[in-house]
Amino acid sequence: MATTTAPSRSAGVADTPVKTGGKINAGRVAAWAAMIILILITLFPFYWMIRTAFSTSKSLFSDPNSLLPVDFTWGAFKRVFGLATPAEAQAEGGSGAAVNFWLFLRNSIVYATLSTAGQVFFSALAAYAFARLRWPGRDKVFFLFLTALMIPPIFVMLPNFILIKNLGLINTFPGLILPYFFMTPFAIFFLRQFFLGINKEIEEAAKLDGAGHWLIFFRIILPMSWAPIITLFILTFINQWNDYFWPLLVGANDKVRVLTVALGVFKSQTPQGSPDWAGLMAAVLVAAIPILILFFAFAKKIVNSIGFSGVK
Amino acid sequence: MSVVDTIEPVDRKDFVPGVRGTDKPPGKGDLAMALVFYVYPFIRGFYFSLTRYNLLGTPHFIGLDNFTKLFQDKLFWNALLVTVEYVLINIVFQTILAVAIAVLMHRLTQSTVIRGLILLPFLISNVIAALVWFWLLDYQIGLVNGFIAAIGFDKIPFFGDAAWAIPTIAMVNVWRHMGYTALLVFAGLQMIPGYVYEAASVDGSTEWQSFWRITLPLLRPILALVLVITVTGSFQVFDTVAVTTQGGPGNASRVMQYYIYQKGFTEGQFGYASALSVILFIILATVALIQLRLLRAGESDLA
Amino acid sequence: MARMRKKLGAALIGVAALSLTLTACGGGGGSEGGGGSEGSAIDTSNASGDVNYWLWDANQQPAYQACADKFKQANPNINVKITQYGWNDYWSKLTNGFVAGDAPDVFTDHLSKYPEFITQEQLVPLDDTLTKDGFNVNQYQEGLADLWKGQDAKRYGLPKDFDTIAIFYNKKLLADAGVKEADLQNLQWNPQDGGTYEKLIAHLTVDQSGKRGDESGFDKSKVKVYGLGLDGGSGAGNGQTQWSMYTGSNNWTHTDKNPWGTHYNYDQPAFQDTIKWFASLIEKGYVPSVAAVTGQGQSSIFAAGKYALTTDGSWNIGSYYGSKGIETGVAPLPAGPSGKRASMYNGLADSIWVGSKNKPAAAKWVEFLGSPDCQNIVGEKAVVFPAIPAATDKAEAAFKAKGVDVTSFLVNVKDKTTFLFPITDHASEIEGIMHPAMDDVLSGKAPATSLSDANNQVNQLFG
Repeated sequence: MATTTAPSRSAGVADTPVKTGGKINAGRVAAWAAMIILILITLFPFYWMIRTAFSTSKSLFSDPNSLLPVDFTWGAFKRVFGLATPAEAQAEGGSGAAVNFWLFLRNSIVYATLSTAGQVFFSALAAYAFARLRWPGRDKVFFLFLTALMIPPIFVMLPNFILIKNLGLINTFPGLILPYFFMTPFAIFFLRQFFLGINKEIEEAAKLDGAGHWLIFFRIILPMSWAPIITLFILTFINQWNDYFWPLLVGANDKVRVLTVALGVFKSQTPQGSPDWAGLMAAVLVAAIPILILFFAFAKKIVNSIGFSGVK
Repeated sequence: MSVVDTIEPVDRKDFVPGVRGTDKPPGKGDLAMALVFYVYPFIRGFYFSLTRYNLLGTPHFIGLDNFTKLFQDKLFWNALLVTVEYVLINIVFQTILAVAIAVLMHRLTQSTVIRGLILLPFLISNVIAALVWFWLLDYQIGLVNGFIAAIGFDKIPFFGDAAWAIPTIAMVNVWRHMGYTALLVFAGLQMIPGYVYEAASVDGSTEWQSFWRITLPLLRPILALVLVITVTGSFQVFDTVAVTTQGGPGNASRVMQYYIYQKGFTEGQFGYASALSVILFIILATVALIQLRLLRAGESDLA
Repeated sequence: MARMRKKLGAALIGVAALSLTLTACGGGGGSEGGGGSEGSAIDTSNASGDVNYWLWDANQQPAYQACADKFKQANPNINVKITQYGWNDYWSKLTNGFVAGDAPDVFTDHLSKYPEFITQEQLVPLDDTLTKDGFNVNQYQEGLADLWKGQDAKRYGLPKDFDTIAIFYNKKLLADAGVKEADLQNLQWNPQDGGTYEKLIAHLTVDQSGKRGDESGFDKSKVKVYGLGLDGGSGAGNGQTQWSMYTGSNNWTHTDKNPWGTHYNYDQPAFQDTIKWFASLIEKGYVPSVAAVTGQGQSSIFAAGKYALTTDGSWNIGSYYGSKGIETGVAPLPAGPSGKRASMYNGLADSIWVGSKNKPAAAKWVEFLGSPDCQNIVGEKAVVFPAIPAATDKAEAAFKAKGVDVTSFLVNVKDKTTFLFPITDHASEIEGIMHPAMDDVLSGKAPATSLSDANNQVNQLFG
């Protein structure tokens, strides 16, 4: 089964690129070229979104292939932040519906943070159980959890909606968060795979010292898994932040409406209608900013925490 | 009746420090929540697959009729074929690109900026990504076709041609997910201790050999995760199709999840849609089981 | 482990009990709330409380909010709350709301969806209430009110507005081609050679090297401007903005009777010849192919200056005007072999949900929406054509004030050259059959005669 390797050095070096003596060789150049091409393909649509966000919706198609904003205007961003009057909005091609931006931003932050925190924490507990503890039927129950990923959404959305409604929790934060608070199969699977890879010697040492499972979990496993846990937190947060259909169903009321639902006002409202492109692109960019802030705040931590993954 | 009666709080007294050999699984609360929010809807859904039901009346039990109808439904087989085609294109490209990006990130640069940039497509929702690409790839006024025409080739109806529809949708989703998948793989790469590579390069291994002999095998648990998650997610593609082709042209992009939604909500045949969903579930569970067994995802060479 | 098993057992029992409760109280808007479910009249005399009203067109929301304000003055005890959701979300939320018991009291209803709502028993019949309140149901444009009577002859909605089809044209492209706007007023088409209509379209089509469609050397694979656009695809079974104006003026109707026909006529020569002719326009390069129009909407491509003419509906007027660099005009549809033109005629209405908890106030609001007081306000905002003739006139004036001449849309009502949008059961299944079938014919993959086969499949749905 698993091979036990005798560690001889701190694993902090896992992150440094293998030195090739500083030579610029063809392999390195090719690698950088590939990287740059991939980044360009990844980024080009974002450039397009920025360019469209600064254009006037009504003028957009007069020059559909221009790489520069068509009729430069800040109007789209004004619409997103709810600063444009209906007349101004309609003049540029927007719909004139009001957007109470800061309120919806707050709602999104509450929803995304709470549900992510809950998912990550409880999934970590469950993942530890599946990775390290031995109990009968463990692998079968794990597979059962995993199959929850495969349950068609049409089975789950509606009954959950009815349940939340019967509990009287429609248009409340608890109602929004409840079905997804305790765990998701993805998070459990993800952390379990990482926990599997943690060196057992540390745990065995702790057990010899008399530590129980809680202690091992909180004092040893969690700190050693900072990188995957933060990665999971970020990925889950992004998913919860972008969640659209469930908050639309359960949280349409202003006091719990999240940003994604509120910004749906920029999509096309009528069949065959086109969306308020400038407003929509501006909305998407603005909605992405909190996630970017989160990511860059934590990204350094991922790098710096690598030192934990080894045995000293 | 209150649902809180079914939630079991995690019992602290189960964990007695110092008692060896007692392994009690923490997180029983998770199990109960799973039952309420996942198992119960699934059992209910499975029941619907044996009925004729339009969501608003009462379900009429009809036994296995939905399933016999299903196997004779050429649109079902079409949906299956189209979805498998989608999954193959999507997974192959997404996995290769993700591993390539992750390794490049790992070897070339520690810049968090680059890491952030790679993740950007995942930050926007499936629907928005589909909308933007739907415009960029538009036959008449899209930038990409404008460029293609400018360099002298014929324009390509990316979403309008039956042969191009599924590959285009697959690549749009590759664009959106490769950074995310790369990040997962990257997290796995970081768990591999550096001394392993050092030892290998001392023994004279090249980067390429290190990759195949060390990196990939040690990545196995993570690759297993990535493959199971992406294949499962891929089979359930919906948003992109709903925004762009709505199953067309003809039935060229009428993937399983879209066909299920069409039958269940648009055409009011929820019982039949449930039967389709049960079949999809069985396929996914089987595929996942095979993947987990083949990749021995329950083990890790690192521990 | 035993402990876990016990807890699992308790959880399972809890879940079973929970599911029983849910089947008892959840699922399906039964007849709660006062009266109105079995044809008995709703008593609106003491109506009070909240009414939830949904609509999807954000452009119309200010008009209806103004209606709600006026309504509040007359009925201070009733509070109308208007919520708007975009088209796709609207129907999802509505259907989910029906099932969960969370739907709005009153909502804007659409002809393609309402037959299924009737089958699902989600709509309140209004007849008795309207009679009791002495409401005049004959005050609407001809034919509109009947659209909303179900197969049981009960009325399920009061008409709000209507729309027709006309030709939008790009003034500059016409001028460049030496065509005068007046030339568009009396176009004729026929399935054999397309008449003056096809000649015009050919002349307006320009390829990349500047050759027009009626000149020799025209390269149909390198078209720069199409004479006539195509709205999103083949138009499936109804072809409202794509071809219904041709089949309708060729002495053809979609069904044996309308509304509530049970036999479709896609096998008739009048239909197949028209579609064959229309497909030939695509094949000649005057009209873009179905593959080419899978993408951005017709009005966007028009705004990019790629179409000289389009056939589109009055609900899209806003999208065609105001685009930078494009001056738009409106012309009436061409006349066909029947000697007249033909425009499909569609309309929206407001319906009351059967599970509403405040039916008296809902009924009062619906009556207000269907009355001149509200429809005049809507007309003045120049977004749609209200169903009451006097209000339609107000709308016409308001559009003119904005620089849009809507006579070409309204001429169909004045000349009685309208025909109703086909209303039958099994609408979505018919769409599932006709959409791919029509796509194939217009793409040249199948001959027009293949539609007889599709017609059989459609008619089999009716038993």
